[in-house]
Amino acid sequence: MKKILIIEDDYTVSQKLKQLLDNAGYNSIILKNFENSYEEIKRNNPDLILLDINIPNENGQLLLQTIRKESQVPVIMVTSRMGETDEIVSISYGADDYVTKPYNPTILLLRINNIFKRLENKDIVCTYKDLIIDIKRGTVKKEDIEITLTKNEMIIFNCLLNNQGKIVSRDDIITDLWSNSEFVNDNTLSVNIGRLRNKLSELGYENTIETRKGIGYILL
Amino acid sequence: MRLKEYLINKIGTITIFILGYCFILFALIAFKNNFSLTFLISLLYMLVGISIFIINYKKKKRFYTEFLMNLDKLDNKYLISEIIEIPDFYEGRILTQVLYEIGKSMNSHIKEYETITNDFRHYIELWIHEVKVPLSALRLIAHIEHNKEIVEPVKLIEDYVEQVLYYTRSENTEEDYFITKCNLSKIISNVAIRNKDIIFRKNIDLIVENTDYTVLTDSKWLEFILNQIISNSIKYKKNEKSYIKITVKDKMNLTTLIIEDNGIGIPLSDLSRVFNKSFTGKNGRIKSSSTGMGLFIVKKMCDKLGHKISIESEENEQTRVYITFDKNDFYNVVN
Repeated sequence: MKKILIIEDDYTVSQKLKQLLDNAGYNSIILKNFENSYEEIKRNNPDLILLDINIPNENGQLLLQTIRKESQVPVIMVTSRMGETDEIVSISYGADDYVTKPYNPTILLLRINNIFKRLENKDIVCTYKDLIIDIKRGTVKKEDIEITLTKNEMIIFNCLLNNQGKIVSRDDIITDLWSNSEFVNDNTLSVNIGRLRNKLSELGYENTIETRKGIGYILL
Repeated sequence: MRLKEYLINKIGTITIFILGYCFILFALIAFKNNFSLTFLISLLYMLVGISIFIINYKKKKRFYTEFLMNLDKLDNKYLISEIIEIPDFYEGRILTQVLYEIGKSMNSHIKEYETITNDFRHYIELWIHEVKVPLSALRLIAHIEHNKEIVEPVKLIEDYVEQVLYYTRSENTEEDYFITKCNLSKIISNVAIRNKDIIFRKNIDLIVENTDYTVLTDSKWLEFILNQIISNSIKYKKNEKSYIKITVKDKMNLTTLIIEDNGIGIPLSDLSRVFNKSFTGKNGRIKSSSTGMGLFIVKKMCDKLGHKISIESEENEQTRVYITFDKNDFYNVVN
């Protein structure tokens, strides 16, 4: 389980962020002691850090500089400031991504996921049971049978695959699609899911995508 | 400075001068001086008097003409004392001294207000950063608890808060934006996701075609501008099947972003005034929550960024907003 360290001094935000990340299958920890932030980070040894710019004692950007001296752990900067310069400074200090408050929780999860996949090179090729999925080419292969998915189908399949065994709400899938500039509506999503199911059953995986009425879908 | 008016103004002096001459003439005649001496004295008297008059007039004319000309050329008239040349006649020196004092007190007054405005602006910025923290908490709670009902009001608060932020920024002379190469489809997708829930609830079709273009802009500013326009499309939709269509036209050196909707439209009589401050028009009377600030701020921001914005509309049919971006060759050379 990936360990994510939350560095955020607002109580409610940090608690809810933890809940969000835990629900998404991560092991998240909230940094409690801001006096020795860097020592705390080292002690926790996280796989990813969510770092707020406005933290007590120290500026988040300076802390990022300190982290980068010794470690290449992925860092997502979170801020409520709106200046373009903050983003540029953060990226130049070595942040992997930058989000502004109030952020869309689904988008935040997508970005975290993207970073992990990039690190493991899973953003190009990944697997589901005995299927090999080539995301860039949009193909799914089983032994010598290869089928092609449309861009929408691939985004949906990838989204379900990232959360395999968990229910993914229609809303989350649609957000994922929209963030990829595919502005589908409710009906189109249903149609796309139907097509994706058909294609998977061609490969012998019937009923792998189940509908949970009123909630969403689950990839078994 | 005109001679005629100067003469009329000096009528008293001239009268005394003439009376003085009459008196001398009378005295000369009374003491039975010969004609030549009377003529000589008269001539000298006139010569001295007129010389003094001409010298004075020239001196003043030179000073006031220059003074008025400078004043005319100045944008900020109150700065006149800074460029005025101190004249060599007494009243002129009093005038420049007075103007200097006025200017000084005016400047300190302006400075005072400038400080107040800046302080207020910094406070607003700080306040906005503060308020975003609880807004983030609300967003997270709504997401975790799958509470769709909170999402929309929270989104509205975010929009209103942002409007205040960009209003203060667009009114200010400090430049807060940062022009870079930005991808239009990325910005459109961010704005679309922000409005996703309300677009779904109101059953609006969002059609985005062919928008993968790069333009020179500030991505955050453009996001705000686009969000305002799309929010308007959503707000002023008709009851039947609605759509919002976003397309891009790319010509030689211009890229135009077009946002089209089939909403209630804007009456022709209101169209020329939609960018005016606090203008709400006919549509503002239909919807209660109209401040008339949205498009005003949008226009100001577009002006600052150097984008052209225009609106075409047909009442009860459709509205089209065009935002045109220049392709700046200079920028390409520098970078």
